Amino acid sequence: MKSVGQRVPKLDAADKATGKSRYVQDLRLPGMLEAKILRSQVPHGRIVSIDVTEAWKVPGVRAVLTAKDIPAKVWGYSKDQVALKGDRVRRIGDELAAVAAPDIEAATEACERIKVVIEPLPAVYGMEAALAPGAPLLHAARGSNLVQTHLYEHGRIEEAFSKAAKIVEGTFVLPAQQHGCLGPAGAIAEWDANGRLTMHDPTQIPFLVQRDLAEALDISPADLRIVQPCIGGAFGARLDLYPHEAIVALLAKKTGTPVRILFSRDEDFQTDPVRPRTIVRLRTAAAADGTLLGRDADILVDCGAYVSWGAMTPVVMVNTFGNFYHCPAARYRARTVCTNTQPTGAFRGFGNPELLFPMETQMDELARALKMDPIDFRLKNANRAEETTPAGGHITSCGFKEVLEAVRTRLKRPAAPAAPHLKRGIGVAAVFHVGGGARIYRSDGCGATVKVDDFGKVVVVVGATDIGQGMETAMAQIAAEELGVDVSMVRVATQADTDIRLWDVGVHASRTTFIAGNAVRLAAKEARKQIEDARAALKLPADAPLDKVVRAEHFRQKGRLITASVFYDPPTSMVDKANHGNVSAAYTWGCHGAEVEVDTETGQVVVKRIVAAHDIGRAINPMHAEGQVEGGVIQGLGYAMFEECVLKDGRMQNGYFLDYRMPGIRDIPEIETVLVETNDPEGPFGAKGIGEPPIVPIGPAIANAIADATGVRMREFPMTPERVWRALRGNR
Amino acid sequence: MRAFAYEEPRTLAEAGALMARPGRNQLLAGGTDLLVRLKRREWTVDTVINLKRIAGLRGVEARGDHVFVGPLTTLDELAASELVAKRWPILVETVHEMGSPQVRAMSTAGGNLCNASPAADLAPPLLCLDATMKVWGLRGERHVPLREFFLGPGKTALEPGEILTEIRIPPALAKGCFIKFCTRRAMDLAFVSVACAAVGKDVRLALGAVAPTPIRVLPSVEEAMKRCAPIDDVRASAEYRREMVRVLVRRALARVAS
Ligand SMILES: Cc1cc2nc3c(=O)[nH]c(=O)nc-3n(C[C@H](O)[C@H](O)[C@H](O)COP(=O)(O)OP(=O)(O)OC[C@H]3O[C@@H](n4cnc5c(N)ncnc54)[C@H](O)[C@@H]3O)c2cc1C
Repeated sequence: MKSVGQRVPKLDAADKATGKSRYVQDLRLPGMLEAKILRSQVPHGRIVSIDVTEAWKVPGVRAVLTAKDIPAKVWGYSKDQVALKGDRVRRIGDELAAVAAPDIEAATEACERIKVVIEPLPAVYGMEAALAPGAPLLHAARGSNLVQTHLYEHGRIEEAFSKAAKIVEGTFVLPAQQHGCLGPAGAIAEWDANGRLTMHDPTQIPFLVQRDLAEALDISPADLRIVQPCIGGAFGARLDLYPHEAIVALLAKKTGTPVRILFSRDEDFQTDPVRPRTIVRLRTAAAADGTLLGRDADILVDCGAYVSWGAMTPVVMVNTFGNFYHCPAARYRARTVCTNTQPTGAFRGFGNPELLFPMETQMDELARALKMDPIDFRLKNANRAEETTPAGGHITSCGFKEVLEAVRTRLKRPAAPAAPHLKRGIGVAAVFHVGGGARIYRSDGCGATVKVDDFGKVVVVVGATDIGQGMETAMAQIAAEELGVDVSMVRVATQADTDIRLWDVGVHASRTTFIAGNAVRLAAKEARKQIEDARAALKLPADAPLDKVVRAEHFRQKGRLITASVFYDPPTSMVDKANHGNVSAAYTWGCHGAEVEVDTETGQVVVKRIVAAHDIGRAINPMHAEGQVEGGVIQGLGYAMFEECVLKDGRMQNGYFLDYRMPGIRDIPEIETVLVETNDPEGPFGAKGIGEPPIVPIGPAIANAIADATGVRMREFPMTPERVWRALRGNR
Repeated sequence: MRAFAYEEPRTLAEAGALMARPGRNQLLAGGTDLLVRLKRREWTVDTVINLKRIAGLRGVEARGDHVFVGPLTTLDELAASELVAKRWPILVETVHEMGSPQVRAMSTAGGNLCNASPAADLAPPLLCLDATMKVWGLRGERHVPLREFFLGPGKTALEPGEILTEIRIPPALAKGCFIKFCTRRAMDLAFVSVACAAVGKDVRLALGAVAPTPIRVLPSVEEAMKRCAPIDDVRASAEYRREMVRVLVRRALARVAS
């Protein structure tokens, strides 16, 4: 193949590297005002009064809004969200009022002059406390802080545990993780004279925002157009509608002028829809010969103060829980809970890192207890191609064995360190993930149009969104391959808006290369057929260049343009009430190996080396696939070793990059990436998704390596020096 | 960031006059501490007074019985100085543990000390080297030993309007080490730091981030444990910090002894 499989540099790399890409921070519309939101400093309380008189006295202020100035609409995943709060605040950071002014200083000054009286109510922060009888209720209408209970079961769980040779169990605690996108949140709203709204919004879900924002504003979705500027990172942070999007639209409506809202870094930390705090109680049972017998999980997931995508993580976790490994019995209960904290959302991996830290730790514990090699133990219980799991997952291509063996051959036991207080060890952990979309919404489809113009230029208009992952380049390579043209002749219309693009559910679930790639491939195939038909009908020689054929077809009586539109929706189903079903058209496997050195006197862990092997079906672009793997490993390393939101009385204590530590270049070990190509039958040119899997197994691989080095099991992230030091001293 | 007036005086006298104006006036060196505070609205200032146009406040050179380090010397310049590298490799080692290349290119030695963070990295090694701070004010000049310079978190012996004009270091060679203990391997603040230096037979020890100010202590684990008074904060618990003082002081003393 000439395009697919090539290491084509990212098409937007030069623009990004030279500062030419336009993010929402770079956009300026004529007459544009800047917005600022006044936020609650009380974690839970009754709003007694909001007096905005003084705010109007700041020169230049054009609008000041509170709840009583806006449509009384509730919206969101569970219809518990409003743009500006009028009666109740449920977390520090809740939106109380908003100001539009010519510059951010005036808007900020005006916010600071608003007088708010809030009568504090008792607040609750921990999930267990929130479920206890008599706990303060966040949403009285729900009657409890419990949002939902998710159940799943297959096989005979009690029997499995009663006949087990070895049972391991433990409670695992996972922190809230911030996306920390380079580009903080923001949006620009402008209304035309006909009352139609255009949003310049770096969202991951333009077509769902079109519907949801219209609902929040009480307007018709037909009067709303979403334009996505270049997106400065997302990782799940832009997967829902958020109050600021409604607020900026309301301010623009009120002032009759374009209004922009940009979050400061502090504000981004305070409002980011973090990865949910999660507590997993897990038991796993195995027979003496290393056959897995059963697993049993009880899970709590924190939604924060309002229900957003954090509440969906149990649905993703259960997919792994029910499908991964041959495990004849499994029982699962996950409860989502509201607390007076930052609302939680989607985050790369979406529940899988939270679940696989416990699961892969216990796989390691069982292997050790049964005196088996951890890779042999996994192989013995591994999924295979062409099988249907008890959860209803249908496995097509499967490279699990290959990724395990790839790590086995590359991860070597290190030499003993020189100093007695240093200990070295190695560990492995595996991942199972959706690789062919995930039908968590009624449609998992994506539309694409491919046109070939008179000059042989190919334009791809696709519903999919580029959040930096390289969608543009992958689509160009797929179209080029199918049409037999050079990648340099293909443009992907990334600036196209929701009026022009065909529908797509959004960028999540590692789905874009697979789903959008299939749509683009099918559209390109259709365009190629049109060209070949024209060539034959017009009796043009086989070597007549493409543009010549297109022109000949165009500039004639009853001429035709070369254009094809396709909607691809994968052959999958949503899960049923019992959480069974085949949500993805392909599944993917990976395995990470980690080598660590532990300073047993200080608890400091140095990760020396990572081997990351992933079944990717086919690498449309091996360079970008490696980039995804390395990026995932680094973000997963941050989750495992450094990152957590530290709360005190509902307030984040480390909402800045000094104390919210993401890995820096010196913390990143050598990463050896192995791409295993299994050529998936449904994937475009055999490809499967790779966006999320690499963030998942790195944490448990490191934890298992720490156990190998020291004999101590870590069951809480992040594994900071102090936590490891305490664990080494028996949790003193 | 709130609006403020900005001045670039050419002489100390001009700077002193600006500092004497009513309101809150703040000196600017590299700005890597000050600008963070202004942007986060922790501080509101009326005038920012940039010191960089005043001659004679930058550079490293031997002067008679001491070595002059200008307070506006950047961290990069400090580490690149041959004089420093030859006499006090511990300072080079310390600078390499600080910030990032961008931060080291901007930030100054004087800013690090005047900011008076308990975790300021330059403080422990300079305490070991018996540095003295030369201070200029409208009422005259004075010398303050670094050991008496830090009064508490963010508080120094500088009187309102006073400007640090020299970090004076006795010329004796020292061999030593700086251990910065933090979570990340770069771009982090110490939750414990230990500097240990031998000047001839005289072994000196100083600690950072485990007391309201950086402290010089007698060179033994027992003394260090006695003098340190760490707190619990978002970076580490007091208990852990104390235990790390024990481990790291032992290691630093052993390294300097070998
Ligand atoms: C990303 C980042 C990483 C950092 N990493 C580290 C680190 O690893 N270790 C560390 O110790 N610090 C670190 N810092 C803090 C900071 O960079 C240092 O403290 C630096 O040395 C401050 O110098 P400056 O010239 O930038 O000070 P400025 O911000 O200009 O000034 C700091 C304070 O000192 C006052 N001041 C400055 N010069 C004088 C003078 N001559 N007389 C009187 N008062 C004066 C100012 O008014 C101000 O209050 C970091 C900062 C950032 C932003």
